[in-house]
Amino acid sequence: MVFILGVNFPERNLVKKSLESFFGIGNLTSTRLLARFHIHPTCKVGDLANKQVLDITAALSDMKIENDLRRQYLDNIKRLKETGTYRGRRHALGLPVRGQRTRSQVGLHPYLNISNYDTRGCWSTSLVDVVVGYYTKQEFY
Amino acid sequence: MFPTRALFSRSVWKGPNIVPLPLPRKLPAPPGTPPIKTQKRSATILPNFVGLKFQVHNGKIYQDVVITEEMVGRKLGEFVATRKRFTYKQSKNK
Repeated sequence: MVFILGVNFPERNLVKKSLESFFGIGNLTSTRLLARFHIHPTCKVGDLANKQVLDITAALSDMKIENDLRRQYLDNIKRLKETGTYRGRRHALGLPVRGQRTRSQVGLHPYLNISNYDTRGCWSTSLVDVVVGYYTKQEFY
Repeated sequence: MFPTRALFSRSVWKGPNIVPLPLPRKLPAPPGTPPIKTQKRSATILPNFVGLKFQVHNGKIYQDVVITEEMVGRKLGEFVATRKRFTYKQSKNK
């Protein structure tokens, strides 16, 4: 087990995948981080030197990820709502924000709009979870 | 790759959509100035609009909008809804 930014990762995990498990780090950022600290793309977490782990943690703590980023998302939406814009109103209603049609196929918007983050308790980063959640809820209707 | 799709809504070389509106001569406007009645919903809100009162057309009536600092850079029409919320009306005679 290796600690990176307070999270425990099993040694057999890929470093790239472990980094991408943080909210706000994707393919691009993780590739850049690996390149910056001279880590091979297929390197496992267990193979990291102690200094490399410390370097990565230091780099991550400088970045805006996880809850800071989530809060920023929510603040942006909150600002739209408080200003009284059309976009803010669409967020509040859980309807598509960017002019999509609502005559049919609006089902996923309440799940994809991050405005519903607080009502659902957590925001799933993977689209698969979102879609599965949508269809399981449909059965209850 | 696009930095953001929002930038593609309007060409940068055009600049903001500046519409000649009948703004009061003296800014900030003295109290008692009548609100500016307009149908130009696509007019960009400029920094010198802050504190002014507008009456923006929603297709049917003119709705009051007081411009605050946060609204700068957005359009007048964004703050006036053009659609009514759907409500089911029960019919009496079946």
